[in-house]
Amino acid sequence: MTYYLTTLLVYAAVDVLACLAISLQFGYSGIVNFSFIIFQAAGAYTAAVLSLPKDTANGGFQTYVLGLHLPFPVPWIGAIIVGALLAPPIGLVVLRRLRSDYQAIAMLVISVIASLMITNTPAFLDGAAGLSLVPQPLSDIFNPYSQSYLWVYAIGGIVVAAIIFVVVQRIINSPYGRSLRAMRENELAAGALGKNAVALKMTVFVVGGAIAALSGAILVGFITTWAPSTWLYPETLILFAAVIVGGRGNNYGAVLGALLVPVGFEEATRYLPPFGPPGLIPAIEWVCIGGLILGFLWFRPRGVIPERRRIFAPAKPAAVLEESGAGRH
Amino acid sequence: MPVDTDVVALNPVAGGEPAGGPRPLLVARGVSRHFEGMHAVHDVSIDVLPGHITGLIGPNGAGKSTFLAVLAGTLPVSAGTITFDGNDITGLPAFQRARQGLVRTFQLPSEFGQLTVLENLLAAAPTNRGDSLFGALLGKRYWGADEDRLVAQARALLERFRMSPKESDYASSLSGGQKRLLEIMRALMLQPRLLLLDEPMSGVHPSIVGEIAAYCEALRDEGLTILIVEHELHMIERLGNPVIVMAQGVVIGQGTMTALRQQREIVDAYLVG
Repeated sequence: MTYYLTTLLVYAAVDVLACLAISLQFGYSGIVNFSFIIFQAAGAYTAAVLSLPKDTANGGFQTYVLGLHLPFPVPWIGAIIVGALLAPPIGLVVLRRLRSDYQAIAMLVISVIASLMITNTPAFLDGAAGLSLVPQPLSDIFNPYSQSYLWVYAIGGIVVAAIIFVVVQRIINSPYGRSLRAMRENELAAGALGKNAVALKMTVFVVGGAIAALSGAILVGFITTWAPSTWLYPETLILFAAVIVGGRGNNYGAVLGALLVPVGFEEATRYLPPFGPPGLIPAIEWVCIGGLILGFLWFRPRGVIPERRRIFAPAKPAAVLEESGAGRH
Repeated sequence: MPVDTDVVALNPVAGGEPAGGPRPLLVARGVSRHFEGMHAVHDVSIDVLPGHITGLIGPNGAGKSTFLAVLAGTLPVSAGTITFDGNDITGLPAFQRARQGLVRTFQLPSEFGQLTVLENLLAAAPTNRGDSLFGALLGKRYWGADEDRLVAQARALLERFRMSPKESDYASSLSGGQKRLLEIMRALMLQPRLLLLDEPMSGVHPSIVGEIAAYCEALRDEGLTILIVEHELHMIERLGNPVIVMAQGVVIGQGTMTALRQQREIVDAYLVG
């Protein structure tokens, strides 16, 4: 039971982090980053190869680069840096000239290409088999199989998610966040008012990439394995579904969506009695997730917790009050 | 400060400077914009004098809005040069031109729909310390004073344009005319030196048309330079001096409306009736 609960909490923290990054990029800035999952994967792979010993150490059953066997928290920091560094080359190709719908297509293609490249380059990150026996953080000091370790890891993950939540809130509740929302609403008009849309998008892309990579590092440190099958492009769609269901342009909505869709929805369907041919239930899950996206876009496009209207106090200091979307007109 | 003479004393097509007049704020020379062989704007040269409202008129498809977009940097030039206050800005993107004081509005409403009216104005303000990732991360203590100052500035504009009651409404909920006013206010938040207005009166209730014209006159009297593209000829007659006429991507005449009405080719091309 402890393992089940702590696993659930770690996944919740990871999905909350991922949804906060998507909320920042998609919800507030209008960037449809369908390559999101490769940033999480980059973080997971980086944390893995920085914490794993040389690939010859475990009998050479897997091959990978680096294997630096670095102590915690260096692998996590390395993951964040790689996630951030991965963003500029992709962003420079995709975000500068393409219209937003073409950006989404290009990102999706990049996600597929990345998955195929890693799968078919076994010498780099062990190809389709992926990495396993990834050392858990501080496992040389504490027993990673103990219940207390599992709880500390889960709570640590939640604390990290909470800190990132505060950071993202601080960004979006600032004048900078207002510029991001202006760009989302009308990029051409924002440019004509002195906003450098490319710089805004690139910055958000880097910050979101770093958060995604951190989520990957936390996940691989817990499950100790990572392979291309865990980061196929449909994983991105689940996270987008979460943000759409929870509420675009609202970080509380993103958190709620993360708890409802990737965690809650998948856990709920886990207990369905087996029926039909093998693979039917997972297939139905995908149909349901697609239905969720369509249903919300049709009936409640602003999600369960809609974006908040920001109303300024009439007297100085001009504190920003927040009110739900259905406010006064 | 309208020009008194019927024909403005400048000859931009020949590349000349105004004879004894003020130095033009914006100078376009040989500006062209081609779309895969189609000449939307071809070899256009104009001067925009400071403190004037320059009208830009012409039939549909004359290239007026394209020319305006090229001046603002939202479209790149295919050929020619543009100088603003003596500086060559031909290669600058729109956001850099806006930061220099060359600000445009759009033919179609371009409000930030899911931002409130006040937020629309604040989003355009250029000098907030919180308008960077670093500043945002430092928190409200770092940028709160700037925000307070800009909120006061935005509220003063709303008061002037009689839009204060709409302050907290979503911009998407405004009427067409109110959106036009919002765009002008938003541009004014940047404290522009040259305001490019692209058909600010199109699709607007007649009562607001007069209001927009009055605001333009007041802004001109305060020293703001305006270049306005407009189909409402009676408004151009009231506001524009000089007036530039474009047809099929080229300038076919310029001067006062009275003078232009006497030029046969211009009347044939556009000023029918």
